[in-house]
Amino acid sequence: MTARLARWSLLLLTILLLAIWIPQAKELLFDDRFDKTQLFFSPVIERFVYKELIGEGHQFVYRDQDGTDYDRESFETLIPFIYYKNMELWGRLPLVLGEHRFDKAAIVAERQVMEFKPQDLSDQAPRIQLFPLLESNPGRARLRFPEDIMRAGEQLDFIDSDANRFDPELTRTFTQALEQAGFRFPVRAAFGRVSILKAFDAGYFLLDSRGSLFHLRRLDGAPEVAAVPIPEGIAVRDIKVTENKRHELIGFLLAEDGRLFLMTERDHDLIALDLPGYDPDRMELKILFNPLYRIAVYSDRETIHAVVMDRDYHPIDRYARRMAMARERPVDRVWEMLVPFDLNLHDPDSRYLSLDARFHGLAAAIGVAASLLLALEILRLRGIRPTRARMDLLLVLFAGLYGLLALILIPPERGDET
Amino acid sequence: MLGAIILKEWLKIRWVWGAALLVHLGMLVYLLLAMRHQFQVEHSEMIWYWAFELRRLLYTQIQYLPALTGAVIAAAQFGPEMLGGRFRLSLHLPVRGDLLVWSWVGFGALMGGLLALLDGAGLYWIISTWFPHEAAESALLTALPWLLGGWVAYFGTTLALLEPSRARRAVYAGLTLAFLALLDQGHGYQEYDRIMPQLTGLALLLLPAVILPAHRYRHRS
Repeated sequence: MTARLARWSLLLLTILLLAIWIPQAKELLFDDRFDKTQLFFSPVIERFVYKELIGEGHQFVYRDQDGTDYDRESFETLIPFIYYKNMELWGRLPLVLGEHRFDKAAIVAERQVMEFKPQDLSDQAPRIQLFPLLESNPGRARLRFPEDIMRAGEQLDFIDSDANRFDPELTRTFTQALEQAGFRFPVRAAFGRVSILKAFDAGYFLLDSRGSLFHLRRLDGAPEVAAVPIPEGIAVRDIKVTENKRHELIGFLLAEDGRLFLMTERDHDLIALDLPGYDPDRMELKILFNPLYRIAVYSDRETIHAVVMDRDYHPIDRYARRMAMARERPVDRVWEMLVPFDLNLHDPDSRYLSLDARFHGLAAAIGVAASLLLALEILRLRGIRPTRARMDLLLVLFAGLYGLLALILIPPERGDET
Repeated sequence: MLGAIILKEWLKIRWVWGAALLVHLGMLVYLLLAMRHQFQVEHSEMIWYWAFELRRLLYTQIQYLPALTGAVIAAAQFGPEMLGGRFRLSLHLPVRGDLLVWSWVGFGALMGGLLALLDGAGLYWIISTWFPHEAAESALLTALPWLLGGWVAYFGTTLALLEPSRARRAVYAGLTLAFLALLDQGHGYQEYDRIMPQLTGLALLLLPAVILPAHRYRHRS
């Protein structure tokens, strides 16, 4: 009995390890370098245009939404705000678009890119909940890290990094400042951008126990706290702070119901973004700013969407296309017929490792049937009657090729019933 | 009888275990000195930034130690048994074969576990000397798959050593390496947090599995 339990433990272990590693080996052998389509809005022809790799090597297409192909240089002239340095090199500046005229300085002043990826979400990456609260008015050219760190919990603790010691005075000062501004402890979440390589420091947004939002900065060593009014019906899920020298926007605010907003830097007003089909847990989002438009481009690993907006974020036009990288490859089709499921260890949208099962459905019936036939042949060669190896055959029925390989690696003993 | 079995196992591994203890203590001392040196040559707030934000692991010195120790303890326990048919003699003790094997591996796993406990406690203490407790807890969670690697290496080596067939031995070695590789996929802190229960469950399958080679040895060689 224990020998049978031992063998079944090994079979189960073998199948799970095979279901993790064989798909990874397949990717290693057959993965290609198709990347995401690059989608833009051309202010020249007022159409969406894209660059896409469609085959091995450097088979790029430069195309607009109507299917017109361009050579690379022509394509770049269609999106002159992106390639403004090339435009300058080719003597195409200042740029004239209708009644508008843009020189290099005007383009640079309006250019900005904001990104929001699934991995930016707090619940998609492990994070030690300690944050350096930078001096927002450093009085010098560069920001620098403080010699203490902030622990946002039952109060706003500060810990001195040189001595690794709690700082009661700083803790009292900042905790009281928050309480006086109406903050209710404990802190539910802290959102900020931890870097000294940014245009300036915007401090942190803190969510209190009631879900109210506050903005905290350290100004000349003292706390500066401001309540951030959030319109009725919006519960904050996440905030991505992106300080930018244009000083228009301070970042993204994602609501619990999936709505995405831009937050203005000065008054913390929220600008709703109308992005049909956007899923923050699966899609990477970019917002491209230029002197004429705001273009939101977002994609999972199959479809890329774009919404072009005017300077007040009102949608003008939309476009979506299935990317070349999403085309099903023959190797994937064969793979789905070969094995009934995969166990994925790496989730590209998360920093956490996972063991997500992806089942191949009825397509795997062919592989399972072939595995069963081979299993019967193996049993025959080992002189074991199929009726004495019913459980092994059941295992192959459920696990297909993985079950067959496990059966080959850990075969039943002659004379033993499984 | 159990006392005699444990005494025999202890006699088999005492020198190796003592040496492993010294290596583990030495590695923890090295980690302590390396950390102290780090904080002497670099500003503390920058090291905290590397650790928290850039997710740099400052304690990888102990990453492969549990797996190495697990394999060495198993080799000390079962390597000599497999020479000159001694293992057959051991299986003739008046105790059920499976219970006998489990008592052997139970003792070996316990002794490996003591070293893992030392690693965990040492790591927590060292990290909490220079970092807030959140970082020490995070280090412990990050090290859990490494410690589980000790269990996997111990049982994997045991499976391979007790197995009479050479081909099957290679299969067990391959499975063990595949499992150990699974525990070595992280790049930053706490990336295994969400799958540690599943991996622990998977590793526990090795406990009943270890009976199979002993059963095959007894009944086939």
